[in-house]
Amino acid sequence: MRRLLLYATVALVCATILFPVYWMLTLSVRPTRDTISYPPALWPGEIQWNAYAEAFRTLPIASWLSNTFLVSVGVTLICLVLSVSGGYALSQFSWRGRSIFGFALLTTQMLPEALLVIPIFIIFRRAALIDTLPGLVFADAAFVVPVGVWILKSFMDTIPREISEAALIDGCGPWATLWRITLPLTAPALIAVSVIAFFDGWNEYLFASTFITTAELRPASVGLASFIGELATPVELVFVFTAVFAVVPMVFYFLLQRYFVSGLTSGAMKG
Amino acid sequence: MSDGHEGNAGAGLSRGRSAAAPYLFALPVALYIGFLVLYPIGQGIATSFTRTELLTTVPPRWAGLANYRRLFADPAFWQALRITLLYTGLVVSATVVTSVATALLMNARFHGRGVARTAITLPYAFPEVAAVLIWTWMLSQQFGVLNVFARWVLPVSENLPWLTGPRMAMLSVILVTLWKIFPFYSLVVLTAIQTLEAELYEAARIDGAGALACFRHITLPGIGPTLGLMTLLATIFSFRRFTVIYLLTGGGPANATKTLVISVYEHAFRFFDLSYGSAVGAAGLVVTLAIAAVYFTIQRRLGYGGV
Repeated sequence: MRRLLLYATVALVCATILFPVYWMLTLSVRPTRDTISYPPALWPGEIQWNAYAEAFRTLPIASWLSNTFLVSVGVTLICLVLSVSGGYALSQFSWRGRSIFGFALLTTQMLPEALLVIPIFIIFRRAALIDTLPGLVFADAAFVVPVGVWILKSFMDTIPREISEAALIDGCGPWATLWRITLPLTAPALIAVSVIAFFDGWNEYLFASTFITTAELRPASVGLASFIGELATPVELVFVFTAVFAVVPMVFYFLLQRYFVSGLTSGAMKG
Repeated sequence: MSDGHEGNAGAGLSRGRSAAAPYLFALPVALYIGFLVLYPIGQGIATSFTRTELLTTVPPRWAGLANYRRLFADPAFWQALRITLLYTGLVVSATVVTSVATALLMNARFHGRGVARTAITLPYAFPEVAAVLIWTWMLSQQFGVLNVFARWVLPVSENLPWLTGPRMAMLSVILVTLWKIFPFYSLVVLTAIQTLEAELYEAARIDGAGALACFRHITLPGIGPTLGLMTLLATIFSFRRFTVIYLLTGGGPANATKTLVISVYEHAFRFFDLSYGSAVGAAGLVVTLAIAAVYFTIQRRLGYGGV
């Protein structure tokens, strides 16, 4: 009886949480008239897949997604390089100013992007970075780098010191020690940071919507947001795009779950 | 910020040949954050003492404290602050309760637990903008499927103004936020629960303690520190949340969901008043730093981590 209750609870909770995902998918395969009928049928009566081809033909989805992909890759690269070097400095050395440096990074992690969007806008306008993808990448990455540094620092702290000391005795400099000893041992944390950075580039909306004005440079988050409250585009096409946009991070999540769950929880909670 | 790390590899390495090494490794991050975060903060504070408009070519003029005088006399600012606190308080309490409940569920032993864990935490990976799209449609007064569910459980006979009634809109925004953010905290709580020792539970069970007693006397004290940190983290992240709220309601209806960060954005990019927006932003910064100070003080007092 208790087992039954447990399974019923699990099923109910999962169904509730997954319902929006299910609803997105079902809206994308319904004929238009079924998407705007009330009350909506919980189970789609007629299923048709042609909205998927139709959406890619009529909406600039491919161009939006490729911009987003470029931004995500850029954010990931910047974050990896900076987090490795910052995390290494914080974890493997003691130096004057280390506490201040770590503290400043933690505080940065707490600042609302929306409060910095005005000054960054002003600075970028002067530097001709407004309305460019590199500018967007720089701004996005600034809010992930502190998290990344912190995750790598926490992870590098768990590497036994004997290992790096042995390398030092063998005549490795700090650079060679990082490259040959520390980095290979840090692989799970590197994956965690990459995924978090890629997600951030993929999802980011605030900077993208304020900095990018040229239609061709628009990333998918901004393109997708333009359909909110807009009724001219058939509903099933909008949800085809929503599903395609959402599926990429979800696939990452399935594949790499165990890495970034541990990376994320340790990085965020130690901070 | 204790220096409890002295004994680690660091001491050995820095005593080596190059004392400059740590600075060289820290420099890129310092420059990057300096240019993209610290300098903009300075720029923002400077802008708040000027008169700067977005669309004109008129150079900024010095305005002294004019923006701040306007800020303190602006009822909209105080309302935004109240709404921010209300939203943050409700989201954080809902998140703590939901994440503890789901973590307990994910910790129970049953077949298919791995699948259930992935399902329950899936919203974490779901992009915010995509979440807003599907939820806006589900919350539509005219077509929304939530009206169907509402009729199952509530004594209502008409479709509800999910996003168009001031009270309802706040609740809807909180609901969507909760759906999006609780999985992360749930995983954090689950990790904390898993570190509690099984012997404690066994001993308690031998003493005849029920599930509820076990939760109150073993689980809750055991995960207490984690819950404390989590509450502070959730507070900070709720305070800075923009995308979900802005795209769901735009701060409406009748400013019922207009938080501080949304009003900053509006002043700058809808009313093109960069300088007043910066003043509101500076006020928001003060609140954030106050929360951060509480966070660090508590963290230090409880003796966690440290740099």
